[in-house]
Amino acid sequence: MKPFITLKDVVYEVGGQVVFDKLNLSLDKGKVYAVIGPSGVGKTTLLYLLAGFIKPSSGQITIAGDAVYDVREQTSFLFQDLGLFPWQTATEAVKMPLEISKDRRKHENESIVNQLLGSLNILSYKDQYPHQLSGGQKQRVALARTLVTQPDLLLMDEPTSALDAMTKETIQQLFLDLQSDRFMTSVFVTHDIEEAVFLGDEILLLHPNGHYQWLKNKDQSEGLSRETKAFYDQCFYVRKQLELGGAGHE
Amino acid sequence: MSKLKRSLFHPLPMGFMMIIMIWYVLYLVIATRTIPAPLETFNYFFRHLHPLVIHMGASLMRVVVAVVLAILIGLPVGIAIGRSKRLDKVLSPLLYIIYPIPKVAFLPVFMLLFGLGNVSKVILMLFIIVFQLMLSVRDGVKDIPPHYFTVIRSFSARRKYLYRYVVLPAILPRIFSSLRISIGISLATLFFAENYATTYGIGYFILSAWMKMNYVEMFSGIIALSLLGSVLFGVIDMLEKRLTPWL
Ligand SMILES: Nc1ncnc2c1ncn2[C@@H]1O[C@H](COP(=O)(O)OP(=O)(O)O)[C@@H](O)[C@H]1O
Ligand SMILES: [Mg+2]
Repeated sequence: MKPFITLKDVVYEVGGQVVFDKLNLSLDKGKVYAVIGPSGVGKTTLLYLLAGFIKPSSGQITIAGDAVYDVREQTSFLFQDLGLFPWQTATEAVKMPLEISKDRRKHENESIVNQLLGSLNILSYKDQYPHQLSGGQKQRVALARTLVTQPDLLLMDEPTSALDAMTKETIQQLFLDLQSDRFMTSVFVTHDIEEAVFLGDEILLLHPNGHYQWLKNKDQSEGLSRETKAFYDQCFYVRKQLELGGAGHE
Repeated sequence: MSKLKRSLFHPLPMGFMMIIMIWYVLYLVIATRTIPAPLETFNYFFRHLHPLVIHMGASLMRVVVAVVLAILIGLPVGIAIGRSKRLDKVLSPLLYIIYPIPKVAFLPVFMLLFGLGNVSKVILMLFIIVFQLMLSVRDGVKDIPPHYFTVIRSFSARRKYLYRYVVLPAILPRIFSSLRISIGISLATLFFAENYATTYGIGYFILSAWMKMNYVEMFSGIIALSLLGSVLFGVIDMLEKRLTPWL
């Protein structure tokens, strides 16, 4: 299978610092990639490059066969602080991407939004503003906002870092359900090893100076359940690799 | 609470009654012809309601035209200054120079340039409102978290959506507070502006009563001016509630 995303000799320099020096990567369609690594190693930068927010100093990134020069309509981004606007209700926030995208039948938007809010269990909060919602509810609204346009690529920067442990597990399960429904490719950054092992099909471990290492996570399509010994063995293994990389984890 | 009780304890009627009481006390204590009795004044006010309404209408028209023009000019200019560091560097010092000048000092210049009629009066109020508005809008735009621009960009939004979903909602609250302040000032300025070349306007009404030393008439004009202010502020409050429901 041809890779969905390829990075070819990608160099990224900012403020005299080389974050990536000739990075080569390929990512497959429909998989979930977890990106881990010490603070400041370039995880957010990698996501921003994939999103098209920033451009490589040299080298090329292609997604679905096309070179990335700017943001793509089919790429969605879930921000670490969610980036919900205080002036939008849940409905308004989720409807916004539909209204922005060009060729859509506007009269269908209402029902698309309601259906999505319903499937994320937040329909009863549809008219609430962010300050009226809990952390988990806000997370769902932000997730709905990124998914409503049916993206083929979902990028997430530490999506659950602000949540308490219980809410985090609910959101993770929700994400897995949505992912399996949609055949999206997802790339997410996390500093939570358990999260990387639980959600990721593959784990990309970034080391300083743009070196990286793949940690194969799951066998075939078999997910790792949190209850199994295999899950914790895998977490132990990932932790070990992270420590071997030099810097300790966050 | 009953409906009547609730509306009596609403801040506006409460404030109104307090002012009447203070007025009445002053009338009794100072006992001068310059301060007429409240009752006599209201009596006059209601008997002359028809001409007063026409005077109020003339003033209201001038204020409303000035506000609309100020928004049409101040909003885009304020946004442009807020968005561009270079424009900010060039224009903000200019605004700081003009802003503190009492605009009424320019009235003779405006009359020379735009004639004695409505245009110079509207331009004077426009000047009062527009600089205040530009500065508020500029600050509102500068205060938008830079992150919001990345968020809206992630949806491949064209420029028009950036304004619709981010910039406008972010500055709306500032626009309202700016309008409240500057409309107050421009109402006070009516007193000077309507002094010349018009026989309509509440400012003219007050001033001509003053000249005639008809203090009952003058105070009923003042009542009309406060009423005009209350109506304008009421409309702004209502619009604010409607348009910024998240606050
Ligand atoms: N706009 C920028 N200006 C200067 N340095 C930056 C900028 N963006 C990223 N960097 C640098 O690039 C490196 C990687 O940052 P980042 O991708 O945010 O790391 P991570 O997300 O892994 O913690 C850091 O050392 C950071 O200082
Ligand atoms: Mg980061």
